[in-house]
Amino acid sequence: MAQTGTQKSTENAARVAVTAAGVVSPLGFGLAETFDSLWSARDCVTQVMRFSVTQCRCKTAGQVSDARLLASAAETPRSARLHRASHMMIEALRQVLTQRPEFEPELTVIGTTSGGMSYGERYYRSLKRPQNLRHAPTWIANYPAQKPVIDAHTAFGISAPCQVIANACASGTNAIGHAFECVRSGRYQRVLTGGYDALAEMVFVGFDSLQASTPEQCRPFDRHRSGMVLGEGAAVLALENLEVARQRGASVLAEIIGYGISTDNFHITQPEPSGIGARQAMEGALQNAHISASDVDYINAHGTGTVFNDAAEGKAISALFNGVPVSSTKSMMGHSLGAAGAIEAIVCLVALQHQFLPANINFASLDEDLDLNIVENETQPAVVSTTLSNSFGFGGTNAAVLMRKVPPSPRLSGQTEA
Amino acid sequence: MSLAIAGMGWVTPLGSGVDAVWEQLLAGKQASATTVSEEFADRVYSAFRVPESALKGISHPRLRRASAISRFAAAAGLHALESAGLKLDSQTAERIALIFAISNGGVIYTKRFYRDIVNTGAQAASPLLFPETVFNAPASHLAAILGLTGATYTLVGDGAVGLAAIKMADELMQNEALDYCLVVGTEEIDWLLCDAYRRWRLLRPAPPIEPYSEQNHGIILSEGAGAIVLARNGFVGIECAHSGGCFAKRAQAEEILKGILRDLGQAQIDFVISSANGTFIDRAESHALQEVVPNALVYTGKPALGESVGAGGLWQIILAAQALSTKEIPPVLHADHGVRLRLSLSRTPVPSARRAIVLSCGLNQQTAGLRLAIQ
Repeated sequence: MAQTGTQKSTENAARVAVTAAGVVSPLGFGLAETFDSLWSARDCVTQVMRFSVTQCRCKTAGQVSDARLLASAAETPRSARLHRASHMMIEALRQVLTQRPEFEPELTVIGTTSGGMSYGERYYRSLKRPQNLRHAPTWIANYPAQKPVIDAHTAFGISAPCQVIANACASGTNAIGHAFECVRSGRYQRVLTGGYDALAEMVFVGFDSLQASTPEQCRPFDRHRSGMVLGEGAAVLALENLEVARQRGASVLAEIIGYGISTDNFHITQPEPSGIGARQAMEGALQNAHISASDVDYINAHGTGTVFNDAAEGKAISALFNGVPVSSTKSMMGHSLGAAGAIEAIVCLVALQHQFLPANINFASLDEDLDLNIVENETQPAVVSTTLSNSFGFGGTNAAVLMRKVPPSPRLSGQTEA
Repeated sequence: MSLAIAGMGWVTPLGSGVDAVWEQLLAGKQASATTVSEEFADRVYSAFRVPESALKGISHPRLRRASAISRFAAAAGLHALESAGLKLDSQTAERIALIFAISNGGVIYTKRFYRDIVNTGAQAASPLLFPETVFNAPASHLAAILGLTGATYTLVGDGAVGLAAIKMADELMQNEALDYCLVVGTEEIDWLLCDAYRRWRLLRPAPPIEPYSEQNHGIILSEGAGAIVLARNGFVGIECAHSGGCFAKRAQAEEILKGILRDLGQAQIDFVISSANGTFIDRAESHALQEVVPNALVYTGKPALGESVGAGGLWQIILAAQALSTKEIPPVLHADHGVRLRLSLSRTPVPSARRAIVLSCGLNQQTAGLRLAIQ
């Protein structure tokens, strides 16, 4: 059974606003570029050049441009030593603080799976060629999973404590969910949350070895789907007590209203085939938000494009929801693992802001065993008030987050809100 | 806070079982160092490893191919549940959350998996090893063994991550649907890890760890796990979990630690379980302790047990809970007697001790604190 969040009565629980958001992903930098890519249903998956993929079945991934990433980085020796995951986190946080310069987090909760993995790879490879170990201390110091979070803090003078959640591919959604609970419980007023992961050879080869990744296009929920492609990126959201944010005149981009988490113990890499774990997480989120399935207007599915995930998730969605539009935006940008839930929360945010349904691209025909209303290949304008974002990971970790559009405050009706 | 320790489990280089390890610490014992080598390297390292006997009786199909880190965690977690008197059925399993604290993770299988890629190419990569390289593999194994279906989290950080996990447990236990939270810190040793810490200038070639020394000779790595069952009632209460903060430069650690001690030290503190381990941490901690809680007795278990990083915070909490309940503090081994701290230099009775602080300063910029009180 899923454990939903804080069981406080509705009148005691604080409402949780997203008051700023930053994102670096294959779709682009920032909310505007992300919207442009989503609106045009752009395929942002490209050939991997960062490391050799000649022996891999899969040769592609959603990738963030280094040139662009480093163009916005400070030109200092310290900056040059940082892992590119740190640069992604710094850029995402920079966007947040540009929108909300006054935001002072009391806590940061970030999801990841791999930290500075490629530095670990370099270190190991260099041990075989000892003359190349001059940079080893830099690689080692920048390898730990919490380092990109602390680097982003340091870049903007933040010293708040950080919790780094590594729940495999559910990490980003778990981070947002836990941050949401922290604000909702009233213990915190302002929490930064999100996720990051940078492409790494070991992880890429790992998914390839499982035959989870595809040599073809990623086509979630399609009858002929053959696997996932990896991605990378970072996303950061500023969460605040909604009433406090309104009182100080902050814009509210959206409200997070529910979170569900469950664990199924079926297999370390595969979901329980009936989708019970996924269903429990979604049910938990709905209960937590005190809404019904019919209130949800759009589901951003985990939708990796693997046979097993999409079958289990599809069954869970169709068991709970009746014809709600579903898409997996991983078809456009790949699966960014620990960042996925955070980037996909941003996708939901953009969908709420601009009132459209993001597309599930590369789609030809629905898996005949599934009963889903897929947003096929093209973006659709729509009235979107409430979104659900799913993330599931190795180890049977399942998470779901509900977000909704916030009507302008009646007391402060002159202020701008999304 | 309304959290308390209801059960504990301990797997260490001094063996397993809270009482058994505690007796050895009280007697001033130190774990035996073993040599850690690597086939492609000449250099060898010293580390404190868990003896195989410490895992006796721990078997489960999920652990058959699991790495040492998962087996340590399972053993400690099962011991903690047993000591809390918890027998899990499908109903109680729904009301338990699981939080893991990890720093380096499954480094043995990670290295093996990547070694095959480097030596032979991607086609040699093992699909059986890859899932064990993921940070949350140990948590997923224990969740499966226990049949837990609710919230499971793996937190990653430095030596302070164990205390961060307690703080997270406190946040989760706001949920009235939860009765218990099982918090597990776990770590395993590999040559690669020793080599990395040496290149980072934090590792010494051989024991002893000399805490509070001006020389900062470094750590000896160790492995194992610590587990704590948190409930709303128990034998030692957690009065306050302090999130601490992150320091950008090592020189800033002292000020953050002072802030933690000031916040936690508002009640009478009888002793502090410090994270001093023979590195820059010791100076920051000793200065902060001298200034904020100069009258408190101070103990660090790292010279006896080694630096177990992700498991270290849980080990510190177990030390504090044992000292509060047995009214004794073990001797700090190999300490610089010149340091201006009230160190527990011999087995020290503390018959009236009621409150303790656990202070943790990690090697990678994180800090945290905890105040415990006997019920």
